[in-house]
Amino acid sequence: MSPLVIRRRAADARRETELAEYEKVSDQIKITQRDLEQDGFSKNPFFHGIIAEVPEHLKSKDGHPKIGYSLYFCTYSSWKGRAVYMEDLYVRPEFRGKGIGKALMAKVAQLGLAAGCTQLNFTVLDWNKSSLDFYLKQGCWDVTSDLGYHCMRCEGDALQHLAQGDL
Amino acid sequence: AKFILRKAEPKDVSDILRLIKELAKYEEMENQVILTEEDLLEDGFGDHPFYHCIVADVPEEHQSADAHVIIGFAMYYFTYDPWIGKLLYLEDFYVMKEYRGFGIGSEILKKLSHTAVRTRCSSMHFIVAEWNKPSIEFYKRRGASDLSLEEGWRLFKIDKHNLMKMTDEE
Repeated sequence: MSPLVIRRRAADARRETELAEYEKVSDQIKITQRDLEQDGFSKNPFFHGIIAEVPEHLKSKDGHPKIGYSLYFCTYSSWKGRAVYMEDLYVRPEFRGKGIGKALMAKVAQLGLAAGCTQLNFTVLDWNKSSLDFYLKQGCWDVTSDLGYHCMRCEGDALQHLAQGDL
Repeated sequence: AKFILRKAEPKDVSDILRLIKELAKYEEMENQVILTEEDLLEDGFGDHPFYHCIVADVPEEHQSADAHVIIGFAMYYFTYDPWIGKLLYLEDFYVMKEYRGFGIGSEILKKLSHTAVRTRCSSMHFIVAEWNKPSIEFYKRRGASDLSLEEGWRLFKIDKHNLMKMTDEE
């Protein structure tokens, strides 16, 4: 595999669209490239991004050298302290099977460890067999299966009612 | 019961740790807590806090059986969903047993969701153990949905030992 550059650059909104299509939920993207730029590159960013880029002569069929990315941020475990949460990890289909996903994840792990984090968390959809296998191979374990913790969400009207004290 | 909700201060870290351990004990995970008061102080009250905390205080005359005035808390931080933007993540939320049933938990949740709305968060996220029926009912009554059941999301974790292995291999 030729030299691969992993750089921390502006999260490309187009990458997000591709990942959303893969996860079959592209109609749920409400954010714009401008939101990503504001939220990721102010003095106190809400997220960090790293991008995998290949040399010009190896770029994708549609002419893009940026072929993968990961989006992550710091969180906190009340049991263990500083943690890093990997929100997105994506490599374009034609560049898979070359260790790029693993390299991106390793970089997030490295940056997390450097910031004093002792764990890396993320979520995976239960039908995503190839991703589940990949992560289990990296030494991850499934907290939902093993400990029975479910991911919950309170949004939209429910959040508004809660804020107003309605029940 | 008379109580007030306020932002946690550095002097509250020992109460916060006490309540973290009480909640962990309720979840039968008490031996998993390795966090210290020093960690909480450094990580919550520096220039870029990793978390925020609300605490529930009762007046001295109503203090707990073991003489505590802080009887409930919530620990939260901001996360990011690249499809919809900022989210509020509720890490811990607990009221001491002898103070439950007075609406303290509901007030804490109201204050949190108010914060979420005020800071332009689209949603509040958290995890609950599937055996914790009282908590699941409490949240579902308030409109929370179970993403693991409804959309198939599973939470994964990788610990420090394996993180270091991963960075060594690259």
